Amino acid sequence: MLYYLIVCRSLTYAQRTAAALERAGITARVLRSPKSISGEGCSHSVKISQRNLPDSLRILQRVGLTPKRVYITAGDGSYQEVAL
Amino acid sequence: MIYLDSAATTMQKPAAVATAAAWAINHLASPGRGGHWPAMASAEKAFACRETAAQLFHVKDPERVVFTFNATHGLNIAIKTLARPGSRVVISGYEHNAVTRPLHALKVDIRVARGALFDQKAVLAAFRRELDKGADLAVCTHVSNVFGFVLPIEGIAALCRVRGIPLIIDASQSAGCVPVDFTGLGAAFIAMPGHKGLYGPQGTGLLLCGVDPAPLLEGGTGSESRQQAMPDFLPDRLEAGTHNVTGIAGLLEGLRFVNNMGVENIAAQETKLIQNMGKGLRGIPGITVFQAEDPDVQTGVLSFCIKGRDCEEVGEILGSRGVALRAGLHCAPLAHETVGTLETGTLRASVSAFNTGQEIDRFLQIVQELCAAKG
Repeated sequence: MLYYLIVCRSLTYAQRTAAALERAGITARVLRSPKSISGEGCSHSVKISQRNLPDSLRILQRVGLTPKRVYITAGDGSYQEVAL
Repeated sequence: MIYLDSAATTMQKPAAVATAAAWAINHLASPGRGGHWPAMASAEKAFACRETAAQLFHVKDPERVVFTFNATHGLNIAIKTLARPGSRVVISGYEHNAVTRPLHALKVDIRVARGALFDQKAVLAAFRRELDKGADLAVCTHVSNVFGFVLPIEGIAALCRVRGIPLIIDASQSAGCVPVDFTGLGAAFIAMPGHKGLYGPQGTGLLLCGVDPAPLLEGGTGSESRQQAMPDFLPDRLEAGTHNVTGIAGLLEGLRFVNNMGVENIAAQETKLIQNMGKGLRGIPGITVFQAEDPDVQTGVLSFCIKGRDCEEVGEILGSRGVALRAGLHCAPLAHETVGTLETGTLRASVSAFNTGQEIDRFLQIVQELCAAKG
């Protein structure tokens, strides 16, 4: 199943992001970013389902939260960055 | 025991505080340091604590709620971010050593805005005078830890805002006891302990950050690990090393208790107790009571002296009779200098939401007996 990972600058930021999405009825889970996309080292991401990306980005913009980067899972288990 | 030392630590806590802390010891790991359940559950606990504190103190962004070990830790971060050697820093005449010692260590030019006890107008006028002479920073306690005097912090904050002078507020005696509005005050920083009016465990504190701070400690944060510089975002910038998760779990329950009870209700209850205590003490010959005529300018902290008696010795005697209060200078020699009690010190009784009128009556009876025995 395909899903998006919203990479956040900190754990707390990821938690704020997930909380904002959950409040809007979008299932969101905080997890450690896969090493291949973690950038400067350790980071946290928010996992959302494929169908929820447009709504999620709209909600995050409304509450003033900016994703650092967004990735989508590829069929081979790798991640591809999504241009926002 | 009649516990009247809540200005130091509220020892009687809501039952949920100990339950949560005990549970955390065996169930919660390091937040942000793993993807497993105990680490993620720990992170959720920390986030819930930040969000609850943000709500209570009107902080728009929970990332600006930083965990510290106590208020002193937070004040050191705040002061060392904003003060430099030679900076002109205006403080009130009621500051604790947690403020004055870091300032002395930095060799700043300290200017004391001194005003008479319980006279908010005089304190405000003194701040205006000193700030108008030019200042790089102002640091002010919200409530005196010795006398329970509520300083006119809204007015002082307004004076600072108009002049563009950053303000650090020591909310050690006000957080959970009187309303604290971070956004409304527009302070650079507000530091507070978790173990007093917020009913959390010792070893907890919060620093509310209105400006970008400089780290006091460097180390692991679970973020941007390849970078050798500390992260430039909060709260990670100030939270190097493993969190006091046990304490944070307890603090969350303390914050929930304060939220549920209501700060205004807690304040009203404590004021009533302290008013009755003051009235009773004033009726005992030989006792000087430092009590405000206007109950709105004093919290649940009251100092008194017994004529001809050493305050430390009286404190010892009261302790042996089941009364826990504090004697001496209370780590605030400046406050005693302002009021004129530097040589004698005072006995300080301080209440919490868990004290009762019966306890105050019994306390007064014990003091009366002690004074009568001496007479």
